[in-house]
Amino acid sequence: MDIPWLSLLVLVSLGGAFATFFAGRYARWAALVVSLGSLVIVLAVMALFQPSLDLQNTSNSCAAGGFQLCEVHTWFTYSSSTSAPGFSVDYAVGIDGISLVLILLSAVITVAAVVYHWSEERDPHGFFGLLLLTNAGCIGVFVSLDVLLFFVFWEIVLIPMFFLIGHWGGPRRHYAALKFFVYTHVASVTMFVALLAMVFLGHWDSFDFVNTFQRQQVDNMQNIPSAVQALLFGSLLFGFGVKLPMVPFHTWLPDAHVEAPTGGSVLLAGILLKLGGYGLIRLASPMLPAGRSLMLPVMLFLAFLSIVWGAYLSLAQRDLKRLVAYSSINHMGIVLLAIALWTQLGVMAAVLLMFAHGLVSALLFMVSGSVHHTFGTRDIPSVGGMTARTPVLSTMLMIGSLASLGLPALVSFPAEFSAFLATWNTLGYWVLLPLMALVVTAGFYIWMMQRMSFGPTRGIPANAHDLPFPEVMGMSLLVGLIVLYGILPLLIEQVIPIAAIFGVPCGAGGMWGACPSLP
Amino acid sequence: MEVPIAAYLPEALALAGALLTFLMDAAGVRRRSAIGGLSVVLYSLALLSVLGDLAVFPFTAFATIPSGLVDAGPIGPIQFTSFGILWQVIFLSASLLVAFASLSEGEGEREVPIFYGLLSLATLGMLLVALSADLVFLLLSIEITGISTYVLVAYARKDARALEASMKFYLIGALSTAISFFGASLLYGAYGTTSLSVLSKVPSAGSEMVMVGLGMLVVGLGFKVTAVPFHMWAVDVYDGAPDHVSAFLAAGSKKMGILAFITVFVASVRLFQVSNAWALYVALGALAVVTMTVGNVLALQQRTMKRMLAYSSISQAGYMLIGIAVDTPAALAGTTIQAAAHVLMKGGAFLFVAAMATIGVGNRIDDYRGLGHTHPATAASFAILLLSLAGIPLTLGFVGKFYLFAAAVEAQGMFIFLAIAGLLNSAASVFYYARILRIMYMVDPQPRSAGRWTPAVAHLADPGAGSTPPSHGGAKSAVGGRLLAEIQSLGVARWTAIVLCAAFTIVLGIYPTPLIDLANNAAFHLINNLP
Repeated sequence: MDIPWLSLLVLVSLGGAFATFFAGRYARWAALVVSLGSLVIVLAVMALFQPSLDLQNTSNSCAAGGFQLCEVHTWFTYSSSTSAPGFSVDYAVGIDGISLVLILLSAVITVAAVVYHWSEERDPHGFFGLLLLTNAGCIGVFVSLDVLLFFVFWEIVLIPMFFLIGHWGGPRRHYAALKFFVYTHVASVTMFVALLAMVFLGHWDSFDFVNTFQRQQVDNMQNIPSAVQALLFGSLLFGFGVKLPMVPFHTWLPDAHVEAPTGGSVLLAGILLKLGGYGLIRLASPMLPAGRSLMLPVMLFLAFLSIVWGAYLSLAQRDLKRLVAYSSINHMGIVLLAIALWTQLGVMAAVLLMFAHGLVSALLFMVSGSVHHTFGTRDIPSVGGMTARTPVLSTMLMIGSLASLGLPALVSFPAEFSAFLATWNTLGYWVLLPLMALVVTAGFYIWMMQRMSFGPTRGIPANAHDLPFPEVMGMSLLVGLIVLYGILPLLIEQVIPIAAIFGVPCGAGGMWGACPSLP
Repeated sequence: MEVPIAAYLPEALALAGALLTFLMDAAGVRRRSAIGGLSVVLYSLALLSVLGDLAVFPFTAFATIPSGLVDAGPIGPIQFTSFGILWQVIFLSASLLVAFASLSEGEGEREVPIFYGLLSLATLGMLLVALSADLVFLLLSIEITGISTYVLVAYARKDARALEASMKFYLIGALSTAISFFGASLLYGAYGTTSLSVLSKVPSAGSEMVMVGLGMLVVGLGFKVTAVPFHMWAVDVYDGAPDHVSAFLAAGSKKMGILAFITVFVASVRLFQVSNAWALYVALGALAVVTMTVGNVLALQQRTMKRMLAYSSISQAGYMLIGIAVDTPAALAGTTIQAAAHVLMKGGAFLFVAAMATIGVGNRIDDYRGLGHTHPATAASFAILLLSLAGIPLTLGFVGKFYLFAAAVEAQGMFIFLAIAGLLNSAASVFYYARILRIMYMVDPQPRSAGRWTPAVAHLADPGAGSTPPSHGGAKSAVGGRLLAEIQSLGVARWTAIVLCAAFTIVLGIYPTPLIDLANNAAFHLINNLP
């Protein structure tokens, strides 16, 4: 019997989230069980994932599109006025290499966040329930293969994050929560109109997007005039770009991050930002080729802007959390750049970078949360000499910072290297621009470490204690993966190319392998 | 074909409700449980009957209309269409909801029979609107509901604000009726008949006169559906009326206006062979956009809950008008689904306001602070209803909006702008719904000194409001007790009604197929059965 693994995954995460709300004082145990449960299912899914696909000899349209573990059931029917039987809106789920990497990231980060917050005292049932609900929504987005289902999960993510920021956040939490909610909701409805227009203009026969990866459907999409495609692509770029976030639509991010509780920030940076990149890779870019090429200059400009602007804004921050938030904008700019190139190497680099950034930024947000409640402040200049008094915290800070600036043997290095290689292959010397921004990034992290970890002790209360055990555990999980995938990036790199947009795996050579250009 | 008298069972039950209630009043039986119970039973029977007529699975035994009569064309001024019967389900749900929830209201001297009697009469009018195939019959049915509701608003005779609201409602209602009848008489002048079906055989005469007549009907009915710029009365009336009456007005009688709109325009534009029909669609589209935008913008600025809900109800009417302007089966199905959703959302929301008023929570939005912690079950239900109003997925409000907007996008041309306008509006509306969620869940229950519109008595300000967690909760065993106390303080019937509204919103949001099938089928027959 086939076990519907992906439905099980969604069900466990979603049902577990609701169960946690009602778990009372056992909430943290429930949260741990649920998050570990979804991690175990993700690992099972990874084990079942087939490294090679026979796309030709399959009757299942979902599998023929390059997806695995497909489940397609009709949810309800939109009775169209033009096409006789109407469009079916399906519960369609399936994964490919890209979504697999991202659900792994989701599950891992949720476990780490739950462990980190083990001693949360303020309404723990609500807190853990909302963390898990966010995770469930994100996993749902990554596995869904239907436009409407995708949008449903996309919207589900907003609500728990709104409450996480608004109830457990810092002093300006109400402002930040509303801004986050309204900003991202405006973006998602824009995205939704564009997706609907794609369905109708492209003459899809259902809201599934598995079919769009097949030849006939791609031809249908190409019948849409390029100007319309560009308009649709622009709307999607806005919709996904706000989530990413891409300059100039990034202003919600620093507020949301600074005010969010640590777990909220961890999920926000670790998973939520990846939804934007995923949407661009999964929906916008492959389905609107003409629109993409028309909008390419805009996309490249915004990517470069995000990279440079994010880096320079980081330099100016005194607040550790704000610094990490702005450096996220910088990193996600590189993701956008890699996606805009739309070569196999570029897309692979983008996914790898999202994975790396997820782990690293989660770690850094945990560190800044711990810094805040150990020293009572996150102000960089007023804390110094952490290594002497709180060596573990200081070590974590250094690992996170070094990973973020792209030190070899940590996970960001292969990702950034591939991204820059892909940029060089396509754009030539333009690669110098993001590279110089990288130098700035390295600069602000090293400067921050110099001030906070080393030097004379300052701003550390006499009773400051080093990290409590749960926080160490949460961070160690991330550190372990950062090192593991930094040394063996091939573990992830082998998986990503088995993706629906590639059609065929790009070769066992990993990032140095031969990857032809995409259709 | 002969119509068996049993086919009019729902209408007969509503009429019986009114007559029996007034008889009981005369006989001195004025207990709320007796009178209200009677109405609830009668409405439930009527609801079973109409569900049976629609062949909804477990209720087929209750069908009273011979299946050959449904969608078989008009019989005199009457027609049985599956579309009309589906809307009867919507109307009866609204009436049943309000009648049931009102069981929790207090006893009065004469108020109870007046309330329930008028409610039954208003329901009768609404049910007749769903049957009408004739302009005069339609407008007269609207008037039955209209006159009942004018009085219903003022049934609490000693409340000056309610009397003022009633007077406004009455004056505007009379004006709009006059305009509608004027329009109908112009159509009569052009065609020589008021039937919405015989007209098809008559060649179009004097298209200017027809356009003016239809335009006047747009205005007259526009008042009923609170389309901007004919909406001015609505907010004052919803605000001034007793809370349960507001619930009925928003959930019930406004839907009647929407159905009248559909009956008149969907039929007439095709049957009357109006030569400049596109102008009518442009007007309807513009009306939809203006209605939802103005409703939303004004809702954003409200500080009292009922006025906010009233303006949001106006904007919801705008979404429903999109379906009428697009005028495809899918779009009309969307309007139907949205109307059904609106019954649950607005009915439940106004009942929640009523429930909060009984325990002394003020009407300002700020007064709802911390309700999420003090009244978890009802506040969660209200939150679900608000999310549904905002069109968040997995709620019925999302399904309705999805259908409407998808139909508009699919119709292409200028209709895409309707979808974009609708989506921008629903994005903007999130702002004021989320604000209420924030106040209910993220602000501590104690009054705070900050904030401009907190009264001076709020000197109990807690100093560290931003940082100290509220100490609610306690032992786990207290949860059941708190829930029981919540139910008792709000009234069992009202509490149940609110929770049921939220539950239906979610269940139909997750599994909308039954409703969608009914709506699709009904809308398909409505358009394709026209001669």
